[in-house]
Amino acid sequence: MAYLLIVDDDEDFANTTATVLRKEGHDVQVELDTDDAVQSMENKPPDLAILDVMFPEDASAGFELARFMRHESEKLKDIPILMLTAINTKFPLGFGPKDIDDRWLPVTDFLEKPVDFDVLIDKVARLLHEGSTAD
Amino acid sequence: MVSDENIQTAAYELPLPQELPADAEIKNSERTLPESLLVQNALWFCRVRWLVIATLVFYGIFGLFPRSIDYFGIRPPGAWPFVMAGVLILYNLAFLFLARTKTSWAGIIFNLWSQIIADLVVLTGVVYFVGSLETNIAFAYLFHIVLSCVFFSRRQSLIVTILAIGMFAGCITVEYVLKILPSMSIFTGSFHEQNTAPVRVILMVNFFFAIGIWLVVWYLASHLSLMVRRRDFELAETNRRLVAAQEERSRHMLATTHQLKAPFAAIYSNAQLLLQGYCGDIPDEALQVIQRITARSRRLTAEIQEMLQLANLSSTSQQSLPRTKIVSTELLLWCKSQVAPIAREHGIVFKTDIRPVAMIGVEDHFKMLFINLLSNAVRYSHRNGQVHISCYRGPNSEPIVTITDNGIGIPAEKLPRIFEEHYRTKESVQHNKESSGLGLAIVKHVAELYGIRIRVESRPGFGTKFELKFPASDETLGSDKKGETKWPIS
Repeated sequence: MAYLLIVDDDEDFANTTATVLRKEGHDVQVELDTDDAVQSMENKPPDLAILDVMFPEDASAGFELARFMRHESEKLKDIPILMLTAINTKFPLGFGPKDIDDRWLPVTDFLEKPVDFDVLIDKVARLLHEGSTAD
Repeated sequence: MVSDENIQTAAYELPLPQELPADAEIKNSERTLPESLLVQNALWFCRVRWLVIATLVFYGIFGLFPRSIDYFGIRPPGAWPFVMAGVLILYNLAFLFLARTKTSWAGIIFNLWSQIIADLVVLTGVVYFVGSLETNIAFAYLFHIVLSCVFFSRRQSLIVTILAIGMFAGCITVEYVLKILPSMSIFTGSFHEQNTAPVRVILMVNFFFAIGIWLVVWYLASHLSLMVRRRDFELAETNRRLVAAQEERSRHMLATTHQLKAPFAAIYSNAQLLLQGYCGDIPDEALQVIQRITARSRRLTAEIQEMLQLANLSSTSQQSLPRTKIVSTELLLWCKSQVAPIAREHGIVFKTDIRPVAMIGVEDHFKMLFINLLSNAVRYSHRNGQVHISCYRGPNSEPIVTITDNGIGIPAEKLPRIFEEHYRTKESVQHNKESSGLGLAIVKHVAELYGIRIRVESRPGFGTKFELKFPASDETLGSDKKGETKWPIS
């Protein structure tokens, strides 16, 4: 069992994803904005963070959060990040070109919305396994 | 808890979009040319000056042969053409060096102005020696007047004109009024030797005529130049607005499709919860309804995805994506693997004859291109059909990819329309209802982005062949020797 954090402004989507992952035996926390997510992670770092890209106040807040975790937070820098997004990941949506640069965007993996639950469960299991073997 | 008194009222006024004031447009159009163009002009001035230097040297050498100059009634010029040519060579080299050295905008302007002033000084010397009023040499000042009208603002070109008039008038004053310097002429029998009143009047009239003509030429040339520059500015401004409007449209399209896709992701997730039993048992009939909801959401999401891809391809930001060298075998086999599940569903077999050829572009663009063509070939094939993929190098070393199916085909009269957005032939709708009609529009956009020539051959009932001819590049030519093997990968 792992502790997972889902950060997504779409409450419906976040809750359905949480339901599926809880059924898999994980402890899942949902946060609807990135500020609360940082607070939550500082209090209890998750084994895996599942991030959305676009938030109502900032179209690339998910990217910002990923960069913060990797480059600015000593406590959060090693947490695997799975990015879920409704846009095709390699194509810009008003983001800067840096946002779509693989080297610059420090996430562990991408998954495109809508997500097939089987694929999501597999990917989460793989990322958790990779995270634990890396330790 | 925050008390109500601590909450202050804040105000914000929505600003109106800022319009460019009309006089700002005129001011902008009167501005001098951009930095790169000014550097080019400075270099061009230097190149043209070599011709003047050559002419002076030629005239000096010609003057060394007394018989020839006697024949034309010309006086021996002596050393002045060589001295003038020497001065021109020295400062031309200096200006060339300055123009080629990376400098600021002010540095380039200083270079241009220094060239003009130095030229006017040397030209005044040449005018004096050739015969300021007795020959038409004074019209050589017109070159600088007209060029300054083209390159500078109207005010600056007037300064050049006044400088030219001032120097010419100074030369005449020194030569004819103050008589500090002797009158000069290249001709042996010249006016100044007959210093009579009518001759002086003729010379004076010549002087004022010359100045009058220069002013008229300045007025006409600067006016025309200003009109052309304004038109240029208007065109550039219209173009900028068009590009901005296009970008705005693409951005809006992207944002809208994203807004549509996100709720579908939520609907799809919820339907999956029901379908996969996360919410308990559901009667079979209800399950079928949920299956239809899931299938429909999936299809709509795919359509939105295609709209996103199309909008992305139209947006100018695509130009900034990094282009890499892509090997045809890896690319085509990867695309084939993506379409393989649908092919299996339809009982379609792939035959491949792919030679490794290098292509230059954004990998995702080429993936979109081939996945769309391959999935079309599969979807519009008959059950248990065959799709043939080949890749080879054309006669000019250009990569050529062909995708051939033995499917339903496209009637000849409908071929020119198949790349239009949302266009679907009646036959294709009957064969496959689940398509947005955007696949070939995406293919067309990628082809336009890379200059890929697409040829479609089709025979209704027998199949369709898409031939894609990629432009040959240095890299693909280079890989001819290194990359291509004689053994095809099947």
